[in-house]
Amino acid sequence: MKRVVPLIIFSSILFLLITSIAFGQVQTRLRVIRASNVGSNVDASLRDVHNDLGSLFSFTSYRLLRDEPLSLTPNRPVSISAREGRIIIEITLVGLHRSVAELKIRVAREGKDILNTQIRLSPGRTVLIGGPKVRDGVIIYAFSARF
Amino acid sequence: MKDSCSSILKLLEKYFDQEVTDKERFLLEGHLQDCTACQDALKSMEELRALIKVPVEKALQKEDFPWVWQNIERQIRLQEKQTWWQSIRSWLDISPLFQRKVWIPAVATAAVLLFMTTQIIFKKNSSYLDASVVEYVESETNNVMVYDLEKAKVTVIWLFEGPEEEALPS
Repeated sequence: MKRVVPLIIFSSILFLLITSIAFGQVQTRLRVIRASNVGSNVDASLRDVHNDLGSLFSFTSYRLLRDEPLSLTPNRPVSISAREGRIIIEITLVGLHRSVAELKIRVAREGKDILNTQIRLSPGRTVLIGGPKVRDGVIIYAFSARF
Repeated sequence: MKDSCSSILKLLEKYFDQEVTDKERFLLEGHLQDCTACQDALKSMEELRALIKVPVEKALQKEDFPWVWQNIERQIRLQEKQTWWQSIRSWLDISPLFQRKVWIPAVATAAVLLFMTTQIIFKKNSSYLDASVVEYVESETNNVMVYDLEKAKVTVIWLFEGPEEEALPS
């Protein structure tokens, strides 16, 4: 009897933990980076991804324009506007499997979809969406997990 | 009525209810043989019982004793109501399911099954983790390139804005 009670309590806690993870929110981070060949500045807050950026792209300057923590709830889109509303990024959490979050991302420029994608984001993984041009460079959106 | 009749009358009720000792019975029956007054008294008692017996039996037939007993039992249970914890303990005590020789192997089996299940789940999830990071990508306006830098755990989705663009992954 004395052994059964802790077992029941442990199972209950485990069940609650799993269900809270399954139905809870997912914390992600979106960084909006402007990459260019003007100057050679790299923002201190981008040091964690600087090596990756440097090995992937030939830009010399990386400026952090925005650092947005996103709290995503299943099937509830979150919209972020950039460049004075000309670009809108809509992120929707469509699935959560243990430590992998499935995100649907829509990028629209001036009301027109330019990208639709679905990605799997896990802790330690960074997904970069880049390409949209600005005056002297390009915009890179960096998604990373915070769970 | 004789002088001893007063003491016999006291015994008569006990005799009538069959509660006398053998000695008292012997004494009383000896007296009754000789005493008509006490015989009459006994006879009166018997007649009175007969008079009472019929209506009492009728009343008893009408009475719903099982219901009365159920009420009594319920009252007893209410007074002796156990706490939920005591109820569980008493149930566990009587349940063969929770006898040590049963639940220890059961828990051991459950643990083994749980271990095996978690292995399967972990295996499934690891394959899920191994799955492609980009499930799909589409663009009606731009060319798109997907590039995985697996060592650094970085995935790039690059939108090319023009055919001549060269601003991309080096």
